[in-house]
Amino acid sequence: MRARALIYPAGDKMKEKIGVYVCECGPNIADNVDIDKVIEVISALPEVAVVERHKLMCSEDGKKFLKESIQKNELTRVVVAACSPKQHEATFMKVCESAGINPYLFQLTNIREQCAWIIADKAEATERTIRYIRAALRRVPYQNALEKKEIEAKPDVIVIGGGIAGLSASLLLACGDRKVYLIEKANTLGGKVKELDKLLPRMESSSNIISQKIKEVENNKDIEVYTNSEVTEVLGFLGNFVAKVKTNEDKELELKIGAVVVATGFGMLDIKQIPRYGYGKYDNVYTALEFEKMNTEGKILLKNGKSPKSIGIIHCVGREERGYCSGVCCTYCLKFANYIKSKLPNAKVFEFYQELSIPGKAYQKFYEDTKAKGVDFIRSQDIEITEQKGTLTVNYKAETQTLEPQNVDMIVLAPAIEPNSDADRIAEMLKISQGDGGFFQEEHPKLAPVSTSMEGIFIVGCAQGPRNIPESIVQAQAVAGKIFSSLIPGKKLEPEVKTSEIFEALCIGCQACLTVCTYGAIYFDEMKRVCVVNEVLCRGCGNCVGSCLSGAISTKHFTTIQLHQEVVEALR
Amino acid sequence: MNNNNVLIIGAGVAGIEASLLLANAGRKVYLIEHTSYTGGNVIKFEEVFSNMECATCMLAPKQQELLAHDNIELLTLSEVSDVKGSLGDFTVKVEKKARYVDMQNCIGCNACFDPCPVSVKNEFEEGLSERKAIYIPCLGALPNVPAIDTENCLRFKGKDCQLCKESCMFEAIDFDQKDEELELKVGAIIVATGFSSFDPQKVARFGYGKFSGVYSAFEFERIFASNGPTVGEIKLKNGKPPKSVAIIHCVGREEKGYCSTICCMNSLKFVHYLKGKLSEVKIAEFYFDLCIPGKSYQKFYEKTKTMGVDIIRTQDIKVTNSNGTLKINYSTENQPSKTEYRDVDMVILSSAIEPNSDAEKLANVLGISQDEYGFFAEKHSEIASLDTEKDGIFIVGCAQNPKDIQDSVAQSQAAVGKILSLL
Repeated sequence: MRARALIYPAGDKMKEKIGVYVCECGPNIADNVDIDKVIEVISALPEVAVVERHKLMCSEDGKKFLKESIQKNELTRVVVAACSPKQHEATFMKVCESAGINPYLFQLTNIREQCAWIIADKAEATERTIRYIRAALRRVPYQNALEKKEIEAKPDVIVIGGGIAGLSASLLLACGDRKVYLIEKANTLGGKVKELDKLLPRMESSSNIISQKIKEVENNKDIEVYTNSEVTEVLGFLGNFVAKVKTNEDKELELKIGAVVVATGFGMLDIKQIPRYGYGKYDNVYTALEFEKMNTEGKILLKNGKSPKSIGIIHCVGREERGYCSGVCCTYCLKFANYIKSKLPNAKVFEFYQELSIPGKAYQKFYEDTKAKGVDFIRSQDIEITEQKGTLTVNYKAETQTLEPQNVDMIVLAPAIEPNSDADRIAEMLKISQGDGGFFQEEHPKLAPVSTSMEGIFIVGCAQGPRNIPESIVQAQAVAGKIFSSLIPGKKLEPEVKTSEIFEALCIGCQACLTVCTYGAIYFDEMKRVCVVNEVLCRGCGNCVGSCLSGAISTKHFTTIQLHQEVVEALR
Repeated sequence: MNNNNVLIIGAGVAGIEASLLLANAGRKVYLIEHTSYTGGNVIKFEEVFSNMECATCMLAPKQQELLAHDNIELLTLSEVSDVKGSLGDFTVKVEKKARYVDMQNCIGCNACFDPCPVSVKNEFEEGLSERKAIYIPCLGALPNVPAIDTENCLRFKGKDCQLCKESCMFEAIDFDQKDEELELKVGAIIVATGFSSFDPQKVARFGYGKFSGVYSAFEFERIFASNGPTVGEIKLKNGKPPKSVAIIHCVGREEKGYCSTICCMNSLKFVHYLKGKLSEVKIAEFYFDLCIPGKSYQKFYEKTKTMGVDIIRTQDIKVTNSNGTLKINYSTENQPSKTEYRDVDMVILSSAIEPNSDAEKLANVLGISQDEYGFFAEKHSEIASLDTEKDGIFIVGCAQNPKDIQDSVAQSQAAVGKILSLL
């Protein structure tokens, strides 16, 4: 009897005028569902004002019929029994809107994929169809009219990090109608690319390319550059962030922006952590960046001022420790061989590699050209560097065999790329997550590589994962594409309508919902001791609803009472 | 004279992403696709590495959004035949073939397939199953509207057949549709024509086309696909499931002269496919250099290694056949002169990625160049990888360089960034 009491909605829910429209979908529904029977049963229900059928409700003719019928019968709620909501929910919502009824007061019930197509027995399919329509009829009086909202948005952007990715993003973003604030913690722009001698595979001067970009940034009136500066706080959401920046002169700047681009680049693994490479212990063992510096300065020299006669280049330093391939080391090690062969044509060069990772159309040729210059490629593992009387020895294994050690005068180590040292702080400040390897986590590994789960916060270049220069530039441009398309100057934002809401009176402030929200859409109100949903950030996923122990949260259009009514009737 | 409409050539994952982003920014987009469906190569995958997400489920919401978007005009069965003008002012001619099925009236019920008396090999399924002359390439294809293949349809061969028309309840079949030539005015062009697979038959030692147990990666992909020719049941031509499988990497790498970037990961993915459905199957991966760059791929490799697979580094490899058993003949670096053997009953060849066969024609139409491998040539490989020598024409995805889905999507978004800053 308890269930029975729930069948009839109380009070003015009885006053609703509900129309039911059954689509035949040509033969698709009509052939396997007895629509006459459906109409006979449904029209007898007291809450139903009108029941109609149409051959194909989604056709132009069908939509016109639906609109006119809604208006003629002065309906307040609509149920359409047709196909999957994926197919035509939006179609019929539009019809409702044009007929002057709020589209959220409509329910589409799927009698094609869930009845006609999957139940062989016509009588059973008909019975199921009636049951589903009854469930929708039970739900629809409890639905609420929801309205679209609009909020103001600022088009301006803050870019954190002035390396090649940050510079490229700033330049593209600052094209006339928005301001870009470029914040760099070092005293100059240019990042790691500034420390390189040449860029592979064309072996062009790196400094030419990076200084050109820096000059363009400095001359762009829409870009404000702050070096020696740090972003200390970012609050808000897409279109409406407020960032605090501690600047050079120890002043605090407050910036109002619409989006944040994180281009904080990378750090390099500290090789001293892996003693077997002898770095810091033996002379003439250098890191990749130290070797770049040597080349930028013009000469490859040993500590004693002489030119090395043989150089070993060691790939994959720290790959095992970090657990990933840094993607760029194989190719820049090939570049190093080219540096050496052009400065010291007679020097012997040995590349000690594990797996040659040279993806894409440009690099195999670069590898073959490099090899042709007389570079030895040795596939090796378990490398250990030893020293005796100033001679360095590379001890290594190949597959299972131990091979003859190789003596060299100089060693260059290619350490793994790792997230920047302040990645943890930035992740916490921006409420974005860190994924594999500690790099910032993209929104989707395939389809959303530069977005994060925080709308309006973007990640580019090596902050997102190890990448080479062209990929970093592409990602920077990709962020510009995303920002141009979502933050249009003068245009308001339309946030999701079906968001979650928390009823203050029921919330006990346990904050379980905060931990499951991946969009950072819930915050804790310290004064009231309750959790609050930021409706602009909420995407209506419903995670928080499931986590709430006190039943204080519901998602609009999927409230507990709506779902309960529907399920109860479907199972009756 | 600045026109800010955009023409996008190719409705694969790269073209779809660019279209949606531009359309949401309020731009009119013409999306040109030479097949009858959207989704390109990605919808042939059952799952994508490394998160093993269902590829069609991943892409379907984007395809739906595309089809419903007011700012996007999708032109299927279409090809660009002429381009004149420059950035901000291009005039484009498009040859649009008739579909002979009305996109508005058709509801995708598929009732017209059964009556069609013509059966031909389904190219989408790599020829592993048949389709009718009125067809969609596979279940779930979007738009879910068939097309009539005029090369095989009896009516277009002069016969008086109209069985499909008679079976249609919605008057959707329209033999009077005509091929059209359209003239479009756009300000910029994105080329997202994707890739083809290297034909492994060109390298005789792999035995492809000769031994029945040797499959290309795409063939295996479709055999595994739940909407494919075997409804996802992994079986050999004799109907039995394979007991041992060899997966060979780098097929065609030497011939093409570059590493195709995604094959190592795709080959590792096959272990997950195989072990997921045939837990007892023996698997060997034969590779040359493992190319798994980036923060996530090694983790996938480590996980795959624990699933019961021999990952063998080899130098020379050859597939032979003795008494119906396939034999992998290979040597390793340690003992290059010694040939080792392994018997298997299925071989999967991971073929190189190569430019689409019509890349040359399109390059001529657009007035842009191709590099030595046939991919469209970028303006500058390091700092301008999506620009071409012609301002306003951009190249993205595998049309520019072999790359994974993530990098293709990023390039599409980047091209949109460039275009929205210019126009």
